[in-house]
Amino acid sequence: MNLKTPFPDPVFARRDAFDKLRGRTRYTVDEACQGHLQAYLLRADVASGEILRLDVSAARKMPGVRAVVTASDAPHRFGIGVADQRLFATGRVRYKGEPLAAIAADTLEQAKAAALAVDVVIRPLPAVFDMAGALASGAPLVHPDWATHEVLLETRGAGRGGNLAWESQVRRGDVDAAFSRPDVTIVESAFRVGRQIHMQLEPRAAIASYADGRLHLIASTQAPWTVKNVTARALGLSPARVRVTAPAVGGGFGAKYGCTIEPYAAALALACGKSVALVPSRAEEMLSCPCRENADILIRSAVTRDGRIAGREAVVLMDCGAYGGEQIYLTTMTAHTLGSSYRLEAVRLVSRAVYTNTAPNGAFRACNGVYNIFALESHTDEICQAIGMDPVEFRRRNVLGDGDLGSTGQVFQGDVLGPMLEKMSQMRSKGATLPSDDGRLYGRATTVGTWFVFVGPSAATVNLNPDGSATLVTAGVEIGQGTMMQSLPQIVAAELGLSPCDVVVHQADTDAAGFDVGVGGGRTTVSLGAAAVAACTEIRQKLLALAARLLQAPASELSLSQGRIDRVGHPGTGMTLASLAQEAMQITGPISGSGAFTRPGVAAMDGCAAGHFLEAVDIPVFAVHDCDVAVDPATGQVEVLRYRVVQDVGRALNPSAIHGQIQGGVVQGLGYALHEEVTLAEDGAFRQAGFGSYRIPLAQDVVPVEIELHEGAPSIGPWGAKGAGEVPILNVGAAIACAVSRAIGVRVQELPLTPPHVLALLQGRKPALQLHHPQDWPARPGTNPPHSTAAVSVAG
Amino acid sequence: MIGQLWINGEWCRHDADPAAPLHRVLRENLGLTGSKDVCGEGFCGACLVQLDGAPIAACLVPVALAEGAQIVTIEGLDQDPVAQSLMAAMEAEDAVQCGMCFPGMVMTLTHLLKTCPTTDREKVKRALAGNICRCTGYERIVSAACRAAKDLVAADAQKVVA
Ligand code: FES
Ligand code: FES
Repeated sequence: MNLKTPFPDPVFARRDAFDKLRGRTRYTVDEACQGHLQAYLLRADVASGEILRLDVSAARKMPGVRAVVTASDAPHRFGIGVADQRLFATGRVRYKGEPLAAIAADTLEQAKAAALAVDVVIRPLPAVFDMAGALASGAPLVHPDWATHEVLLETRGAGRGGNLAWESQVRRGDVDAAFSRPDVTIVESAFRVGRQIHMQLEPRAAIASYADGRLHLIASTQAPWTVKNVTARALGLSPARVRVTAPAVGGGFGAKYGCTIEPYAAALALACGKSVALVPSRAEEMLSCPCRENADILIRSAVTRDGRIAGREAVVLMDCGAYGGEQIYLTTMTAHTLGSSYRLEAVRLVSRAVYTNTAPNGAFRACNGVYNIFALESHTDEICQAIGMDPVEFRRRNVLGDGDLGSTGQVFQGDVLGPMLEKMSQMRSKGATLPSDDGRLYGRATTVGTWFVFVGPSAATVNLNPDGSATLVTAGVEIGQGTMMQSLPQIVAAELGLSPCDVVVHQADTDAAGFDVGVGGGRTTVSLGAAAVAACTEIRQKLLALAARLLQAPASELSLSQGRIDRVGHPGTGMTLASLAQEAMQITGPISGSGAFTRPGVAAMDGCAAGHFLEAVDIPVFAVHDCDVAVDPATGQVEVLRYRVVQDVGRALNPSAIHGQIQGGVVQGLGYALHEEVTLAEDGAFRQAGFGSYRIPLAQDVVPVEIELHEGAPSIGPWGAKGAGEVPILNVGAAIACAVSRAIGVRVQELPLTPPHVLALLQGRKPALQLHHPQDWPARPGTNPPHSTAAVSVAG
Repeated sequence: MIGQLWINGEWCRHDADPAAPLHRVLRENLGLTGSKDVCGEGFCGACLVQLDGAPIAACLVPVALAEGAQIVTIEGLDQDPVAQSLMAAMEAEDAVQCGMCFPGMVMTLTHLLKTCPTTDREKVKRALAGNICRCTGYERIVSAACRAAKDLVAADAQKVVA
C-alpha cells in the first residue's frame, strides 16, 4: 500500500473505555465469581521428587466437593516444540508448585480444605535450580526420559540432550578467521538477567462447562485456538469438541499466550458435568506464572580500528524451567535480536534452552529480545570504549541498511535504522539541557534494537449487514492493546468506505472464527488486519459487481466511500451501502467475505541456521531509544530524567493508540531495568509473592516518553502497518544500563539496577560476572554440553 | 447469619462470613464486580470503594466492619458530577487500556479532585501511590486528572457568573 493513499479516520477512540471506567466490563474473573463451582489446584511442595503415594479418596468425601482429577484423568503429553509436559506431575515432581490434583467444590474454601485431605507422599530427589548446575557434568536430569519425548516442530539440525531442552545455532562466514586477524580488537562481555513477572492485573482465569458432548471454555487468554488445541490434546479429546470464547482480557503481556490453567477447569467440568471456575490467587499466579526467562549471555566481537565488525559470536542460555514451553521456540529469536541490528561480516551464535527444577517460564512482551538487546547494546558500548569511538557514530556506521545481511543471511530491505538514528539526534538537539550540578552522576545513551512481527496464520470473516454496517469475525482478543477496538475496525472501514463506528467486532469464539495463532508478537494488526483486508476485498468485488448492474456503470468507475457507492467524481449519484445490501438480498443473498493470511516466508541463506523455527523474519521492526539518567552516589538511586523513542511503525493507523502502547511498554521496561527482581529461595521457589515484594513501577517512577513515529519502512502489513505494541519494551533495559554505566563509569552486567546493586557497582563491591560456559567458547555449533550422552539431531 | 450493607443508596443483604473481605462480598455475593480482586493485600488499589466518603481498599476491610458505613462503589459513582468529569477526561486523553485498574483510579482521583481542586501532576502522582497500572505507564491518567481539574474549575466559574 502506497503511503500516499490517505488512511481514513486515524483518530478513532476506543469504544470499550466508557464501560471500563465505570466498572461495567465483565472480565473472565467477574464471570467466574458467581454461579460456578470453584476449583483449586493441589501443588507439590518440593522441587524434585518421586511421588510415592497420591490418594484422593478422603478428599472426594469432603463437604461440597464435586470432582477431583489427577494425572490419570489427563495422561497425554503436550508442549510447544517438544511434548515434555503433562497436566499433573506423573510419578515425578519437577518444580515446587507443580500441580498434583485439581478439586472442584461449591466454594473455594471447601476446595482448599479438600486439598489438605489429599494423602501425598513424595520422596525428595536431587534438584538443579540454575543453568550452571543443570549443564554441569553429572547434574541430575530434570527429564531422565527426555529422549522419549515427541518433537512437535520440525527444524533442521537442532541439538537436544539431558538438561539441554533445545539448541539452535547460527553460522555465517568464517568466524575463526575473523578472530585471528591481526588488525582486530577483540572485546568480550558477559551478562545475566533474572526473570520478569507479568503482574497483569487480571490473573489467568477459566470457566469450563460441558454440554451436548462438548466443552466450552470461557478464558482470559490471548490465544483461544491454542487453548482449544492444547486442552484437547491434554485431555485426549478431539479439538472439535472444545469451544473457547474470550471476553475482554485484563492484561496479558504474554502470560496468557500459552495454554496453562484452562485444561484443569476443563478436566473438572468433564468429570462432574457442572460449570467450574478456576482463578488462581495472586500468590499462586506468581508462583506458577510463565515468566520472562532468566538468561546468561556471553558475547564477543572482533572489531577493526575503523569500527567494522569482522566477527561476532555469542552463547545465550535461556532457563525454560521444568518444561520446555515457549523457550524451546524462543531459542530461534537470538538470531533475530542479538544477531541483528548491525552488519556482521561473520557470525556464530548458539542459543540454548535449559531445563531446571523451577517453575516453567513462558512468553513476555518482546520475548528473548529484551535481554539480548541489553546485552548487545552494552557490548556495543564496551566495543566503543575499547576502540575509542563515539557510540552513536559506531552505531551510525554499522546499523543494518538496505541490502545488508542479517545473521542468518536474510537480506534486509530499506534504510531504516540509519534515518531513525538521525531523527533521534534531532529530537535530542531540541531538548533543553538538564541541570547537572546537584552532586548526582549524570549519563545518557542512545540504543538501537531490532524486533519483528510474528506474522503467522490468521482467518477473518466480514459480513455486510442489511443496515449497511459490517461485522468482523476473528479469534482476535482485546487484551488492552486496543487492536480489536481501533485498528481492526478502522481497517475494515477504510476498505469498505464505512465509518469505523459502523464496524462491529465479534468477541473471540473458536466456534465462529477461523484459526488464529493468538494475540502476541505484535501480530494482531498485521495478520488479522491482512486477513480482514482479504475478506473485504471479496466483499468489494461482490458489491461492485452488483452496483454495476443496478447503476448501469462499469465497476471500474465506481467507488466506495462514506457508506455509499457512487460513480468516481460524482458523489450522490449512486446508492447507500445499506440499500445495496438490501438489494443484494433479492439478487445474490447476503454479502460476506472471508480472508486469510499467513507469513509469506523470507529466505535465509542456506546452511546458516540450524534448529530454528523461523530462519528469517518477515517484518523486522526497529527501535531507537535514548535516555538521560541521574544516579545518586549516596543511595544508588537511579532517576530517569528524559526518555525518548523513535519507533518504526511502518505506517501509523492510529497514532494515539501507538503512543499509548509506547508509554506503557517503556514503563514496563523501566520496571525490568530498575525495580523488578525475582530471586529463588533455597528450595527453588520464588521469594516474591505479591505486589509488596515484587516492585513494579508506580506513577511517581515514570516520566512522559517523548515519541516520534517513523513511517515509510517497507512492510507487508495492511496499509503498510507494522505491529506497534510489543516493541516499545525492547530497548529499555539496554538504554538504562548504558546510561547508568556511563554515569557511574562502571560496566553494567546485570539487571535490574536496584539501588543496592548500583551502590555495589559504585563502591567496587560487585565482582565481575563469571559465566559458567567458557568451556563452550568459541561457540562452536554442534558442541553439546559435556554431560549430554545422546544429543540428537532432529531431522527436518 | 445475614449481614446488611448500605451500598450506593440502598440496603443490600448478604450471608457471607463476617470476616470475609468486603471486596469479595461485593463481587461474590452482591454481583458488584466493578471493585476488582487483584492483590488482596492493599497494594494495588483495584478494589477501592468509598467508605463514608473516603476511598478505602475494600480487600482490607472485613465485611462486618463495613456495616453502618455509607459505601459507594464504582457502580454508584456514575451519577457523581466530579467522577463524570474525570471519566470524560480519561476518554478524551485516550487513557484506558485493559481497564482493570480504572475503577480504582477513578475512586482515588475523584476524591483528589474533591479535596484538592487545584491539583497538578506532582500531586496527582502522589495521590496514585496506592494505585497500580501495568498497562498505560500512568502519564495519560495524570493528564486526565489535570484536565478534569481544569474543566471542573471552569464549570464552577461559569456557575458563579450565571
Ligand atoms: S485488591 Fe485491594 S488493594 Fe489490591
Ligand atoms: S489499564 Fe491495564 S492495568 Fe491499567
